[in-house]
Amino acid sequence: MDTVSSLIFSAVTIMTPLLLAATGGLYTELTGMLNIGIEGLMLLGAFSSVVSLHFTHNIVLAILIGTGSSMLLAAVIASITLYLKANVFITGLAANLFASGITTVLSFHIFANKGVVTFPELPQMPVLFERGTEAVPVLGPLLFGHTFFTYLSFILLFLSYVVLYRTPFGFRLRATGLYPKSLISVGLSPKRYQFIAFLISGFFSAVAGAMLSVNLGAFVPNITAGKGWVALVVIFLGQKRPVGLLIASFIFGISEAFSNYAQGIWHIPSDFILAIPYIFTLVAIVFYSIYDYNRQKVE
Amino acid sequence: MFPIVQMHSIVKVYPYTLLKANDHVDLTLNEREILSLAGENGAGKTTLMKILYGMEEFDEGMIEVDGKKVNISSPLDAARLGIGMVQQHVTLVDEFTVAQNVVLGKENTVHHLLYDERKNSSKVATLIEENHFSVEPDALVGSLSVGEKQQVEILKMLYRDVRVLILDEPTAVLTSQEIDALFSTLRSLQSKGVSIILITHKLHEILEISDRVAIMRQGAMIGTYETSLVDEQSIGRMMMGETAAVPAKILTSIDSDRIVLSVDHVSIERHNQKQPLLDDIHFDLFRGEILGCTGISGNGLGQLESVLLGELPISKGKIFYHDTILSSEHKRARTREIGLPFVPSDRLYTGSSLTAPVSENMIATSREKFFPPFGIRKRKIQAYTRQLISRYKIKSEPYQAIGTLSGGNIQKVILAREIEKVKDVIICCEPTWGLDASSASFIHEQIIKLRNSGIGVLLLSSNLDEIISLSDRLLIFSRGAVVARFGVGEVSTMTKESLGPFLLGKAVRVKRGKM
Amino acid sequence: MNKKIECYNPVIYMLRSMVGLIFIVFVSLVALVGFSYYLSETPDKTIYYFFNGPFLSLYDFGNMINMAVPLIIGGLGISLAFRSGSMNIGGEGQLYFGALIATLTVIALEPLGRAGAVIAIFVAMMSSGILAGISGVLRYRWNTNVLITSFLISNAVVLIVNYLITGPFDDPLTNLFSTQPIPETAELSYILPPSNLNTSLIVAVAAVFIIHALMYRSRTGFELRMYGDNPRFAKYAGVNVMYYQIMPMFVSGAMYALAGSLSIFGTYHATIKDFSSGMGWNALAVALIARYRPFAVIPAALFFAYIESGARSAMLYSDVTFELSSIVQATVFFLVSSVTLQRLGLKKRRI
Repeated sequence: MDTVSSLIFSAVTIMTPLLLAATGGLYTELTGMLNIGIEGLMLLGAFSSVVSLHFTHNIVLAILIGTGSSMLLAAVIASITLYLKANVFITGLAANLFASGITTVLSFHIFANKGVVTFPELPQMPVLFERGTEAVPVLGPLLFGHTFFTYLSFILLFLSYVVLYRTPFGFRLRATGLYPKSLISVGLSPKRYQFIAFLISGFFSAVAGAMLSVNLGAFVPNITAGKGWVALVVIFLGQKRPVGLLIASFIFGISEAFSNYAQGIWHIPSDFILAIPYIFTLVAIVFYSIYDYNRQKVE
Repeated sequence: MFPIVQMHSIVKVYPYTLLKANDHVDLTLNEREILSLAGENGAGKTTLMKILYGMEEFDEGMIEVDGKKVNISSPLDAARLGIGMVQQHVTLVDEFTVAQNVVLGKENTVHHLLYDERKNSSKVATLIEENHFSVEPDALVGSLSVGEKQQVEILKMLYRDVRVLILDEPTAVLTSQEIDALFSTLRSLQSKGVSIILITHKLHEILEISDRVAIMRQGAMIGTYETSLVDEQSIGRMMMGETAAVPAKILTSIDSDRIVLSVDHVSIERHNQKQPLLDDIHFDLFRGEILGCTGISGNGLGQLESVLLGELPISKGKIFYHDTILSSEHKRARTREIGLPFVPSDRLYTGSSLTAPVSENMIATSREKFFPPFGIRKRKIQAYTRQLISRYKIKSEPYQAIGTLSGGNIQKVILAREIEKVKDVIICCEPTWGLDASSASFIHEQIIKLRNSGIGVLLLSSNLDEIISLSDRLLIFSRGAVVARFGVGEVSTMTKESLGPFLLGKAVRVKRGKM
Repeated sequence: MNKKIECYNPVIYMLRSMVGLIFIVFVSLVALVGFSYYLSETPDKTIYYFFNGPFLSLYDFGNMINMAVPLIIGGLGISLAFRSGSMNIGGEGQLYFGALIATLTVIALEPLGRAGAVIAIFVAMMSSGILAGISGVLRYRWNTNVLITSFLISNAVVLIVNYLITGPFDDPLTNLFSTQPIPETAELSYILPPSNLNTSLIVAVAAVFIIHALMYRSRTGFELRMYGDNPRFAKYAGVNVMYYQIMPMFVSGAMYALAGSLSIFGTYHATIKDFSSGMGWNALAVALIARYRPFAVIPAALFFAYIESGARSAMLYSDVTFELSSIVQATVFFLVSSVTLQRLGLKKRRI
């Protein structure tokens, strides 16, 4: 493969977990809840799915267990935030802390190893439409030869679009974030929709995490490495719209693919590469607040 | 006539301020009638209706619908009983279309799964046609005018087949044409069998639209009357109550050399709107007078307060305190930095810090007296607070959180604090809003005492009794402009009724030049 | 209306407001015991060492107190910031960055001896103060969310400090990723040998009094609390909004830097990679538990240090890993901001 094709190909690989997590985060974001816990939900999903795959050798069961555990944690965040009236930011952070603690503790308990746990016996994730990758320029590496997670992320994104914009549930969910009083005035509970949104976000984050660990055939501590935060940025950059998420996550994918490539050539320290998403987010948020400030000033 | 809704002896006490919003209130709504629920601000009208709509819990009492006792604990329960309420503030999603807003929570679907855009839209279109409304079902709500948004609110209720429709001050934000349209809608709904409760405090509207009027004052129900048997005066009297006797005015002329505060041709323009929020406001405040400013809410009093508080920058004009410029074009007034005594209308959130003790609230605007460069004069704060508590007859202890006091006592704390730092001017906004009669007359006495000792008092109030009995001179605001000015000696000849046309902007009385 | 003024007793009120807190601590310890039974082959041993470990020897006890020192100092800064409504959650970066600046400065100023150490701490406090202050300025200027900006800046800074420690400032003489050690003259002296407890404890206790005086015995503190309770009211009363949006951020950043540099001068003697990981968050949790009251910060910090050192000795003497402590801490974190739990002991205001 030439440089451009391989860049595009790895961009798609990088963007897949971002897109999945961001799609899930879109639900919470649209109900007006800032889901800081995506990172932790992904991490827990990554751990529990790869470990259960190791024990069951059944990918469906593994993903069920992975998503189940993340949804449980999401339910904890949601219950404490909504029904015990806690600060959503603090509970999200707690979930991140909890996830990193519990994965290490369980990894030590099960494998007597706090570091990288590899599962060499796990088969490589099969790739689909392999032949297409090199047959078609640009679109080839974009669309073909990826694992089923990538295709799943596209399908789930489309489904989410339908759910959010074409079903009564979606209308109510979006109304929750846009103006919760509109639901209260017709006797619906905004909290209920926020709770469900958290569960959905837990599901998507878990699938995103599962992709990271299952593709690798190993669990690395802190395998998510800030991807949950980047997913939040993807939501903001994508203007909270499904197509926007697709574009924004591809931008992140291609920029990370490029910086990985650049790192190899110009020896940029990896810590700087890791810092890029945070700096990028910071700049985006500052610009957004300047825009918002000026808009409100006019009114 | 058959009573459709009966509320028996409803009691509602707000937990934080211990304010009795409803004190054993009875209300009956008959089938096919338009009932006005009248009362001053803070009389408890909205609370009573929120209870009926399930948005507020009540402490005692009972509600019957169709003669059966019912339990309404959420708007969902109310909807099931056919009760709908149009809130004072819109509850619509700007980003959704009219149809999407109307059907929210009760959508038509394709195979119980997908939102049926066409069917929802056409159903709402039918509803719009039946009621002769003017909105388009597919228009975005964000692009509608206030009157049109209100139509959508009503549609939302009609879509749910309400038998009882409650409207909370629906005319407050409407133009007169829009009010006419609303009233004809209400009449046609009435003819279709809907019973309507209209919360309002506008006398002529009560007479124009309603069959009966129920009047509330300070949380209590004064009585319910056939509209044909009462007139504006009697309703007004019942809404206001007999105002406590106020010490006679002494002032007959004004020493016009001694201007303390001067508002010089101040305007606030809005983006993309012709009608300014404040339109060339121009007046001087002298020592030893009470200058009253009044108007119906939404006509500029609130904006004037925000300007004086320094919350809103002005577009044109200047404000002076003696020779000091407080504000000029595109600036916020520096009233608060200079520390002019100011009693704000929002006493709970602007005027006090509810979780802080009374003593901290008491010294909040004169901090410099109690804090040497290092440390704190705790004993002095205690003594000062106790002194003011006894002088202003406040029922509290210095360490008590101010939020646990009653509304009247909170207001006394604010007034005490601000009066203590008066030099030659004080600004009071709605000083007795929602207070019981004894607190109100105590506060009136204090204001008159200040005036008599040579202080200039700027009084912003929508309470006409208060404004007529206290003011030496009076300005009337309508649509952001001063439409009438009354000088010394003229105010005492005015009555609430004679002010009516000016308040509604139907009459103008402005002398040339400054007065 | 003849309503009697409700009896108000500050002591009873304080005790009642503790009910929720006690509940939270209880739940977190139940979580600990539960996990121990699940994870450990010898749960009795695990639980024994978890609870008693810190008291087994002078060494363990001193180390526990020493662990509390940076939590106290950082927690004080956060108490001040949060009390004024400045939600600084960038402690990790501010602490780490401050520690590195202090280390590099004190090495550069070696000829000055002790004075160099004092200057180094001052420089570190200024740097981290400015780092945190940026978020305050952004909030004042464009109303940008402090919570988010402080977090993002901190995360980026942690990575950059990592790069500096492992790259340009790495000490080739050690196997660790670490800077050069600080000069011996700058090291703080030990109080309770053989443990690591050192004179930084005195600074921490002094800081409690200073921050308490600042928050509750000065005009600045009064205005700061006014602004935190109700910004509208503070504005109405003529409080300088800009000052109270930026100053608390600066002070909390500076306190984190103080915590970081004292850890270096007292305990680590060089900035080791990830030495402070988790300290920033724990200090924040400490402030939340103490409800921003300086004197309550000390027991709250000791509680956290107790959990950490308990987990350490359980790890040493039994078969669980140290990260068990972060599960307990997460449980506290989950519940600590809950309004419902905070009001658990206070009866509903009704007539």
